[in-house]
Amino acid sequence: MQSDTDKRFARMQKTTGLHLAMETEETLQRLTEFPDNPVSMKYFYDLFHNLYKDGHSLPTAKKVIGTICLQVPDELIYAAGATPMRMCSGAYAYDQVGAEFLPAKSCPVVKATTGMLHLNQSLWGESMASVVVPTTCDQKKKSAEILKEMGYPVYILEMPSSKDSDDARFYWQESVKKFALDLQQITGTKITSSKLQDVIAEMAECSRLFRKLNELRRAKTPLIFGKDIFLVTSAYFVDDMASWRRAVRRLIAELEERNKNDLTITNRQAPRLLLTGSPPIFPNLKVPILVEQAGGIIVADEVCSSNRLLYDTVAYDETNLNDMVPALADRYLKPCTCPCLTPNTDRNRKLEEMVKSHRVEGVVYQAFSGCLPYEMEQKQISNTLTEAGIPMLYLETDYSSEDLGQLSTRIEAFIESIKARRRKN
Amino acid sequence: MSKALKSFRRAINNANLSRFRFYFQAASFVLLVYGGYLAINIGDQLPTFGCIFTEHRGGSCYLFGLQHQMATPWKSYLSGRGIGILVGLLTFFAFFIVFNKAWCGFACPLGTIQDWLTALRNRFKVRYGNYSEPVFQRLGKIKYILLALLILIPMGMGNSFFGLPKLNHDFGVPFCMICPGRTVLPLFSGDFSQLAIDLSSKTKMIFTALGLLITGIFLAGSFIKKRFFCLFCPMSAFHYIFAKAALLRLSKDGAKCTRCGNCYRACDVGIRAIADDLEHKNIVKDDCMMCFKCVEMCPEEGCLKVKFLGLPIYESTEEGFFKRMQGHNNAK
Repeated sequence: MQSDTDKRFARMQKTTGLHLAMETEETLQRLTEFPDNPVSMKYFYDLFHNLYKDGHSLPTAKKVIGTICLQVPDELIYAAGATPMRMCSGAYAYDQVGAEFLPAKSCPVVKATTGMLHLNQSLWGESMASVVVPTTCDQKKKSAEILKEMGYPVYILEMPSSKDSDDARFYWQESVKKFALDLQQITGTKITSSKLQDVIAEMAECSRLFRKLNELRRAKTPLIFGKDIFLVTSAYFVDDMASWRRAVRRLIAELEERNKNDLTITNRQAPRLLLTGSPPIFPNLKVPILVEQAGGIIVADEVCSSNRLLYDTVAYDETNLNDMVPALADRYLKPCTCPCLTPNTDRNRKLEEMVKSHRVEGVVYQAFSGCLPYEMEQKQISNTLTEAGIPMLYLETDYSSEDLGQLSTRIEAFIESIKARRRKN
Repeated sequence: MSKALKSFRRAINNANLSRFRFYFQAASFVLLVYGGYLAINIGDQLPTFGCIFTEHRGGSCYLFGLQHQMATPWKSYLSGRGIGILVGLLTFFAFFIVFNKAWCGFACPLGTIQDWLTALRNRFKVRYGNYSEPVFQRLGKIKYILLALLILIPMGMGNSFFGLPKLNHDFGVPFCMICPGRTVLPLFSGDFSQLAIDLSSKTKMIFTALGLLITGIFLAGSFIKKRFFCLFCPMSAFHYIFAKAALLRLSKDGAKCTRCGNCYRACDVGIRAIADDLEHKNIVKDDCMMCFKCVEMCPEEGCLKVKFLGLPIYESTEEGFFKRMQGHNNAK
């Protein structure tokens, strides 16, 4: 006989599954409503449609290692014969499930991720060899303990809260070295230098392609909407690397063709914006969609679900593990601009440079309510941008659709103000 | 800029400079160690370690001449010998000013030997050693002490300091006595005579014994630590006095730097400022050997540039970086 809790859980699983599918379809519909979407975006629309169609199954037959936060060196996981999958979720349906475990005021990314793992534990338990949680922000750290209690094989990847000192750097290198050794235990596969070289090259190719997209977004003619870019990078969380690369190559080819023929995706005069702050992760593409529906175009971003995830590449000097593993560690710490690090002035500098390189006219700062690091860093960023003469719109939001009306009013006003500024200058 | 020039520069920036450097170093090594066989000698005022103790050398290090000349009594500095000193210095300067510290990264035979030892270590998959930043800073001062000594000791031979007796002639060319170049480079032309302890006097015995000890440390040290000796090299310290005036430069655009640290990773000497210094444009530090591996490893467009007379000749590009990093691996 099924107990009441079991029944309740089964009910929750069912309704959440339905909500998730609805949420997905709704977001996909809003994404595809835009005119002239690139044909090659269809791959990504289909990917998410299929992923959440009925239930949420892991899209690979291989052993999966879940990662939370982008500081986990995926290269090591691939080299150890498993598939890394970024678990950070953007689903409101999961956010509501997670609310059972975490305080109401906590960050929706953490809530949704915890909720997702709770709900799908029976489904995924077998193939999830480990969930790796780097010690980034407090909420992720504490959620790791909750996941452990649920029975997940949680691996805590110790990370320093600063990156400037050599001590921090060496501590992190040791941490990653230990991770590499432990991974071999977890998967039972040895990490070899030649395997690691291959994986690094493969992931470098992903970075190269992402940078290519980034470069195309620099073009005077707007070629692709930011909402589509976020879909592409959200796909990177879960997709098979090789198919992702093929799809991105097709997209790049199409955009280059459009550029050559001077075909624009939107009004040539559309205000050029940059999105930073808490990560937009599918299906929560609320803010990017609103911004672009209101007539703006997101030409650059500085978020951990897109630019920060894919921009950097491992650079090693010697082809042996003694050099490659610390090189991997460096790649995940040194250029990182996550607000859990202090000081984080590199984030300001990066934004300043991007504002210049992508000719950005305004910055949209998205902060999830409950995501304190981003909420607190807002001031620092806004000061820098004010100095550079770039207006910034600060939006506090979450995964629900309750604030849609309020958000769109503010976004429209911001975009109008940028247009007004132009007329004045 | 014309199309042809653009594509030419693109090809240069995509090039694997390290490979070029490897062959260039080998050629310089042959020239400096065996040049005599081909009747080539480019002089004895070189800003690099060709060694005077190598019989068929193609050129040799200025420090030998400098030490020799410093053993001059004060009053003779203003005579004809003073002109000799000046001419020596100017010749050195003329060589140096063109290539700056690239003499270390591209020409120095002792540096090349260290790079070969590094390649050997890599082949054996032995882990390399590194200094922590404070240790690096402290050890880095040694080269200035050596430089001061190699000037002051010979001066003490020709003159009396503070009424102390003059040093005897066994103190001649003190740095050469302890330099691994003197012991190691002649070996390449089959001359083992420098691997001996000179028992003719106490001073000579101490110097030559110290020289052998340092040779041992040099070989072991540079097997473990990349460019181990360069951190202590008084020639490198001497270079730095003139480096700001040199025509070949390494420059950095701090605004483009993401502080990803790739350059610091690649740096054989271990100069942290290359990654963390966002202010200075001229980024050649005293320990830099201008191998330009940092430029190769930099993924930001035009962040690091090698310039000659202000004109960029090799610079960091996204395309070049990915080409070099992916090497033969072609991800589909």
